[in-house]
Amino acid sequence: METANFKSIESQKPSQDRVNTVIGHGEPSESSLTIKPSQNCQTSVLQSTVKWSFWTVFSSTFITIFLAEMGDKTQLVTLLMSAESQSPWIVFLGAAMALVSTSLLGVIVGYWLSKKLSPKTLDLTVAILLLFITGWLISDVIS
Amino acid sequence: MDLQLLGLSFITVFLAEIGDKSQLAAIALGGSSKYPRAVFFGSTVALVLASFLGVIAGGGVAQFLPEKILKTIAAIGFAVMALRLVWCSDSE
Repeated sequence: METANFKSIESQKPSQDRVNTVIGHGEPSESSLTIKPSQNCQTSVLQSTVKWSFWTVFSSTFITIFLAEMGDKTQLVTLLMSAESQSPWIVFLGAAMALVSTSLLGVIVGYWLSKKLSPKTLDLTVAILLLFITGWLISDVIS
Repeated sequence: MDLQLLGLSFITVFLAEIGDKSQLAAIALGGSSKYPRAVFFGSTVALVLASFLGVIAGGGVAQFLPEKILKTIAAIGFAVMALRLVWCSDSE
């Protein structure tokens, strides 16, 4: 997580490093010098500030996961356990701690993978994983 | 404080959530984003809020939630993010 820290501080430098606000994988120095055609698809992100980009990532993650999780098994488990026990808030606390740990684990695994794989392989892997989640959600809806 | 109940709910939810959709999403988004911390906070707030609503609403939640619509919207969101990734790296 140290490197992430460094990177995000690094990319908070204004104007000159603006290109770094792209959600991508280029090395900061490289991407701030060359503007590749591939960055056209993120023009709107380019024009905005670093802060906006952080919140974009936050809110897109929040919205998709929140919607995916509503009525899902974890929520139902929490719901049932808290309904059955005398102290629902203890159940909620336990559940919340578990959810914090699993998302932390997930992000750490993802971060670790991003260091291991080449940007291109990573993009493909992530795209496949996201499409797999899409398929999983659709099968949830249909069944 | 009932530590046994706390531990039980922790373990149950932890096991239910390991390898589940939202953890896979956290892996995918955390790996592909420049802001893994934003992904972590976004996913944590979403999950905790979802279970908070579960506790608040109690047993009635399943009846009034348009679960299928919400999940469809989420599916579209994930698909869009996947396609954007492919699109952006293909034109390179």
